[in-house]
Amino acid sequence: MKLRYFGLALLLVPLLAIAESGTALKDDTLRVEPYADAKASGAIKRSDKVDILEKKGAWLKVKAPKASGWVRLLSVKRGEASKSNEVAGVLSVASGRAGTGQVVSTTGVRGLNEEGLKAAKFNEAEVKQLEGYSVSAEQAQQFAKAGGLQASKLAYLPKPKSAGGTSQ
Amino acid sequence: MKTSALPILMLALTTLPAQALNLDDALKGLQETTQPSPTTQGSADAQPPINLKTPSREDEIRLGREITGNLLGAAPLVKDDQLQKYVNQVGRWVALQSERPDLPWHFGVIESEDLNAFAAPGGWVIVTKGLYRKLHNEAELAGVLGHEIGHVVKKHQLKLIQKQQALNLGAGLLGGTLGKNNQLVQELIGSGAEICARSLDKDAEFEADRIGVVLAGRAGYDAYGLVEVLQEIGHVGKDDSSVALLFKTHPHPDDRLVKLGDAVGNRLDGIKDGKLLAERFYQLKN
Repeated sequence: MKLRYFGLALLLVPLLAIAESGTALKDDTLRVEPYADAKASGAIKRSDKVDILEKKGAWLKVKAPKASGWVRLLSVKRGEASKSNEVAGVLSVASGRAGTGQVVSTTGVRGLNEEGLKAAKFNEAEVKQLEGYSVSAEQAQQFAKAGGLQASKLAYLPKPKSAGGTSQ
Repeated sequence: MKTSALPILMLALTTLPAQALNLDDALKGLQETTQPSPTTQGSADAQPPINLKTPSREDEIRLGREITGNLLGAAPLVKDDQLQKYVNQVGRWVALQSERPDLPWHFGVIESEDLNAFAAPGGWVIVTKGLYRKLHNEAELAGVLGHEIGHVVKKHQLKLIQKQQALNLGAGLLGGTLGKNNQLVQELIGSGAEICARSLDKDAEFEADRIGVVLAGRAGYDAYGLVEVLQEIGHVGKDDSSVALLFKTHPHPDDRLVKLGDAVGNRLDGIKDGKLLAERFYQLKN
């Protein structure tokens, strides 16, 4: 019996780890449902640390210092910003991207830094190859259809009048 | 995810009046007469000069071809036909939702573990393998390509080159002889693919973000793919060399998310059933 409970506890550990932390990018309202017209359940202030509990469409369910509720996903930055290579290294290990032997370029290609770009010489063969990959509008439409993609009207977003929360 | 800026040049440009772009006299008589097919051009072939003041569609494409060819000289295409074809299918479909659906759009993934993407006038879009590696689904790819397509449609890079030209003319660097062949093009874009290391102004990047989100949404994708990518990039350490150029030439991802959030508000709430297409997303072979 004890063993069985122990096993259960082990199973729960990864579940708990799923709650991701985040940081409020701006002041915003928390709502009881993931809809703009749902009742407010509280608020978050920029820089508040939150726990992200769930994602639904463009909304995140978060636990903030003083309240919980749904907030637009663009109002929250997920995770902690890494401050150094060390942290980035840990993240890439966690995502399985390190240790593949492919992360460090072995092709002899220099990084895309200013010196490398400046020294670059036009490569006609590569451009021709690139041109060879082009697809026609009709091919693109077929590709979209195969994926169940349907084009719809959507107006461009106007430039926002005021900065909501300029980060420092 | 896009591209472009030249810090030193930008400093100089801030003091330049808009009138400096009046290149009428300098460019008079440089209108092209015949236009060879872009696919048969070599960079060394003699070509009619590009009219930079009011470039034709072909001028734009040629300019972009030269820039892209130089960029490919710095980092070649990933040798994976299926990958390149896939990216072209997604890109062309997204571009079809823009105001310039009929440009001969070209999309490519290059051998670089940097996180970056580039656009050049006339419909040339390049994404690094490092950035592609960060993507999880087709909607995210559509958002990234949509951002670059936004730069092309708004002619952000072209305007940067025009400013550079005005600067060169003002400084007498080009004198009265504006070459009769590709020498001119090279003079316009600087050395090699240098122009790919230049910054656009921040507003151009924010604008391209807004366009990327909308084009992906119009194409039937989850409109928030670009947002996910910005979140992901924001997690890469500032000191990580893979984002050195990206962070140097673009506002920080956090700023971009805030600006995008201000612009989006409830405007995308009406979109239903935007697709991620994670199952169709092409996986890199290495």
